[in-house]
Amino acid sequence: MAKLPEHQGKELLRQAGIVTPAGHTVESASDAAAAARTIGGSVVLKAQILAGKRGLAGGVIFADDPSEAQTKAAALLGSTLYGRTVDTLLVEARCTIERELYVAVVSDTVARAPLMIVSTSGGVEIEEAAAAGAGETVSGAVDMRRGAPVYWCLDLVRTLTLPEPVLVALARVLSKLYDVYTGYDCTLAEINPLALTPAGLVALDARIAVDDDALFRHPELHIERSQEVGDRLPTALELAAAKIDENDHRGSAHFVQIDPDGSLAKAQGKVSIGFDGIGTGVSMAVMDELVPLGFLPMNFCDTSGNPTASKLYRITKAILAQPLIEGYVFASCLSSQQLDVTARGLIKAFKEIFAPHGGAPTIPCVFSFRGAWDDVAIELFRVHGLSAHPWVRVLGRDSTERELAEAFKDLHARWRSERGMAVA
Amino acid sequence: MNALTWNVFSGGTVTIDLDVCTGCTTKACLSACNVPNLGSALTRGDDGLPALAISPDRAAKGGCIECLACDLACAADGLGALSFVLPTPETDAYLDALRTAGDAPGRGW
Repeated sequence: MAKLPEHQGKELLRQAGIVTPAGHTVESASDAAAAARTIGGSVVLKAQILAGKRGLAGGVIFADDPSEAQTKAAALLGSTLYGRTVDTLLVEARCTIERELYVAVVSDTVARAPLMIVSTSGGVEIEEAAAAGAGETVSGAVDMRRGAPVYWCLDLVRTLTLPEPVLVALARVLSKLYDVYTGYDCTLAEINPLALTPAGLVALDARIAVDDDALFRHPELHIERSQEVGDRLPTALELAAAKIDENDHRGSAHFVQIDPDGSLAKAQGKVSIGFDGIGTGVSMAVMDELVPLGFLPMNFCDTSGNPTASKLYRITKAILAQPLIEGYVFASCLSSQQLDVTARGLIKAFKEIFAPHGGAPTIPCVFSFRGAWDDVAIELFRVHGLSAHPWVRVLGRDSTERELAEAFKDLHARWRSERGMAVA
Repeated sequence: MNALTWNVFSGGTVTIDLDVCTGCTTKACLSACNVPNLGSALTRGDDGLPALAISPDRAAKGGCIECLACDLACAADGLGALSFVLPTPETDAYLDALRTAGDAPGRGW
């Protein structure tokens, strides 16, 4: 999912008619002072990073006047929160909060429907508060054919112990939030806190996450792909690899770098290798066998769902583009995927990549073909000469994950030995 | 060059140099092209040379399933008349950046 930064999420809320504090995004301390001057009165400076609990980490601070805003913005800009550099601040009017609520619409895979959640206990550490039984919480699955009109939302929240005018206002916010959720193909549209202020309900924060596969429908969001990979920004190679899958949904080529710069492998005294698997389960099983033997995949890649050979070709080029790798492992599960097609993509990539060496891989490579058309895949490797190369081992359906990992270890040991390098 | 050319859905171009094909006795590409349940995208033309069995437009919309069977068959059993070009501009740009920075992409490349 593609998470939107707070200021972008709030813009969507405003467009839907949900009130947010007056605010401006800034990238310099002087602009922060100017924004505070424009807004007037006390302001809040909020670090625009894709992470929760920013307030607890010092990413949300208050300033009473433009001068203080400038000083505090100077300290916050360029700082690091949760491993991310703060380069943008949202400067907003500080609100008088009477009460904090929590509202969200989230894709519920169990209910197979959008789930609307409302709690009278919003604010920081909402999960902990909910676990402790703080506040009242109601939720309801939305019938997507009917949507979430105000009357339905009012029916959802009517049991909450809130004044009636607040309940009506809350229902209106919920209905609009649902419009944002559906209008932007969200997996999550959350406001926490939704503050009850003297001026009414105001969204003080916004967490909007858009379904990756729907990003192409929203060029107005200016997101090429998910801005986050776990707790970090995507690497240049991940962005490049994502292009392979972007507009071709025939099978997948999901590529993530586990250890992009090899620092984790180095710290653990392991050897970085490139990796591709058909199926996440087998990938995990193979990694479980490789890691104790001293190898750490630099990347995870899943090429399942019967991708085209051209997709395999392209993603293999991306995997082998990783510097520092001392080998490559390809593993299939006992798949129904047509492995001869998979093999052709691999063969084309290896022949091209190692063309200066007559198509012979110069790093140890182990391929395991197990599943539909695996015999054809293995025969293709033989016909095209890959199996005969000294640094290639091709395994069939009778091989286990452990045997694959041990075969790679043997190959890698010989490879290092031949180069006069210490064996891992 | 007398060529048969078509584009593929993922972005790429297949070119067959038919002048070379005239000397090919195997026409391995034709027997290799076999789309399960859909037949073949390639067929033997009236002149005995490879021809598209479907329209170029249909080929570009996924009628050619990019299995690369023709590509590898021509390379292994034909005369190398077929060129299946699949651009990877983003990965190429990444590699160029690595080379500029002095990092060799993949040990031994």
